[in-house]
Amino acid sequence: MIRRGTATDGLGILRFKNGFQIKISNLFAGLGLAMAAVLLAVYSLQIGLTKTGISDFLAIFVGAELSDAKVYALIDVRLPRILVGFMVGWAVALSGAVLQSLARNPLADPGLFGFSQGSMIMIMLLLIVVPLAPKSLVALAAVAGGLCVAGLLLWLVGGGRSSGLAIVLMGIAVETVLSSFGTLLILYLPPETSLALSEWLAGSLFQANWSLIAAFLPLHGHLVSGILIAGRLLPAYDLGNEMAMALGEPVARSQPLLLLFAVVLSAAAVTAVGPLMFLGILAPHIAAFLSPATGRARLVLSGLTGGILVVAADTLTRGVAVGLPMPLGLSLTIIGVPLFIIALRLQALRKFQSH
Amino acid sequence: MQRRLVFLSAMTFLLPVVAGVHLFLGFRSTDLPQLLFAFAGSDAQSFEEAVLLYQRVPRTLIALYVGGVTAVCGFVLQSLVRNPLASPTTLGVNAGAALFLVAGVLLFNLDTKLQGAAALVGALSGFLASLAVAKAAGRRNDPRGLSLILSGALVTMFFTGLTNALLLSDPARRSDLLSWIVGTINHAYADRLALFWWVGVIAILMLLVLARPLTLILFGAEKAASTGVNVPIVSGLAILAAVLGAGSAVAICGPIGFVGLVVPHIVRPLVGNNLRISLPAAFLTGAMVCIMADLIGREALYPFSLSTGLVTDLVGGVVFILIIKRFYLSSGAQQGVA
Repeated sequence: MIRRGTATDGLGILRFKNGFQIKISNLFAGLGLAMAAVLLAVYSLQIGLTKTGISDFLAIFVGAELSDAKVYALIDVRLPRILVGFMVGWAVALSGAVLQSLARNPLADPGLFGFSQGSMIMIMLLLIVVPLAPKSLVALAAVAGGLCVAGLLLWLVGGGRSSGLAIVLMGIAVETVLSSFGTLLILYLPPETSLALSEWLAGSLFQANWSLIAAFLPLHGHLVSGILIAGRLLPAYDLGNEMAMALGEPVARSQPLLLLFAVVLSAAAVTAVGPLMFLGILAPHIAAFLSPATGRARLVLSGLTGGILVVAADTLTRGVAVGLPMPLGLSLTIIGVPLFIIALRLQALRKFQSH
Repeated sequence: MQRRLVFLSAMTFLLPVVAGVHLFLGFRSTDLPQLLFAFAGSDAQSFEEAVLLYQRVPRTLIALYVGGVTAVCGFVLQSLVRNPLASPTTLGVNAGAALFLVAGVLLFNLDTKLQGAAALVGALSGFLASLAVAKAAGRRNDPRGLSLILSGALVTMFFTGLTNALLLSDPARRSDLLSWIVGTINHAYADRLALFWWVGVIAILMLLVLARPLTLILFGAEKAASTGVNVPIVSGLAILAAVLGAGSAVAICGPIGFVGLVVPHIVRPLVGNNLRISLPAAFLTGAMVCIMADLIGREALYPFSLSTGLVTDLVGGVVFILIIKRFYLSSGAQQGVA
């Protein structure tokens, strides 16, 4: 049923009978990350003004009576926050990982490329026209906005030459224009919407609740199939479009699909918490640092890392800065920039060695 | 030569016209003759005169100063860094000044005078941080200096993030700084102009004095050195003056983005690279652009008024995109873009 073998690079690998195979190191990294995620969630449950934690949480299932404040803190505030945080981190990290393979650019990120801002703008335009739009329409608008920006960026950069720093700068420029346009749009929103939106614009988990999770969950189900398909394709794309074609990949058909997949992921995250920068770069890089992987394993590991990063950032801001309403997007930027610079430095060093 | 003179004289003519529109637009036309006399007297006689003297005039002066100084500094930075995307906004200067000023206000309760000093220090540290990051991330194959601009963008994001975090930590004083932080030209900042104008004037005078050796440096460091120019000292002084000048503009009314990026690209094709002529041209054009941006922000979406920084960000960002496209992504520019 399961055979243990050795991959071409001499590392251990597990081969299943149906052809599925996974590197042992990746398997362990994945299990370790999943464990870390659970531990982090347990710790995060304890952080906050109300004194309660995992023991109280488990007690609820046994049937113990708890004070309302504790139940409220655990079930209505902290648990949704952790779950939404994890799902959003997972989605953005996957989006980044897919984009990086597509653009063959290790610095690709849905936030930095302006996709999330595009989604945000489209949502705002929708809310101006239809103030009480249902959640599904909002999500659709987010996808449309992300796609518009992706198309714009492709047109500006011009098809094939998408590698290098120029596209990153172009993304940042598009992002700048869109975000100042967003600030302008806020003027036209009804006051109560614009107040909620300005928090949303900063990327925050304040409004995490169970209905949001319910809206987000079906999408997450689709993600699993997306990972299975995208994960098979991406290694070919990592070699470049010509090589992918030579390997028998129908680039003309699968490339737009992959781009759509990445945009949908980032749009879903924007609908839930707002635009997050740098996460899409950080998570795949950290995952690759922990355990180098390709294909599906890379996607799963990146997603896990992304989820952990968001929950950790949220826990950190809640634990360290008590009473300071720091939006998630802000703490991710402050953590993200130095790590991004380190990634640039490492990349430069690697180039230096290879020359 | 002909074209330069035409451009310069057109600007000298247009600037007072635009400034006049900025000053008098919105008053009843019957009041205008009387309002002109308001400048003669020292005190305002009516409501209209008070609006003109205490709101419009300071606003025009601030726009004039900020636009002119930022454009000149942007021109010098672009020439010396040899990068079409260099400007106070893209090299972290504005973000640095903003961060240090906000930190000074919130953490150390600095008074207005020291806030200006903090902004100047911040401008310099933002610029140095961008250089340091570019060096750390240094690529060997980067003749067009893209990594410097990317570093500037990263430093800007980081500093802006820190600034916002600082502002969030003090909700009470946040509202005071909130309109400043997005770059607003407002008569309320007239006292800041009165305190800091000399920084920009000294910076511009210094750059004008250095204009000849700087122009020589543009032809190549070796050529300039062979004509007796001390290249390191001249370029160092010029960059210092440019960064401090831009910092003083931020200290007055917050970061007004992209004027320093866009104006040099308007001026250079028309006037050329001789700094003795192009610096004054950049000053006039920058002042006019900034006054126009303020006018648009004030009137376009009436009764809402936009902050000038938002208008310049919007327009400047588009120009930023066009410059990247033209200089880095057109088919001729492909070689060497790593």
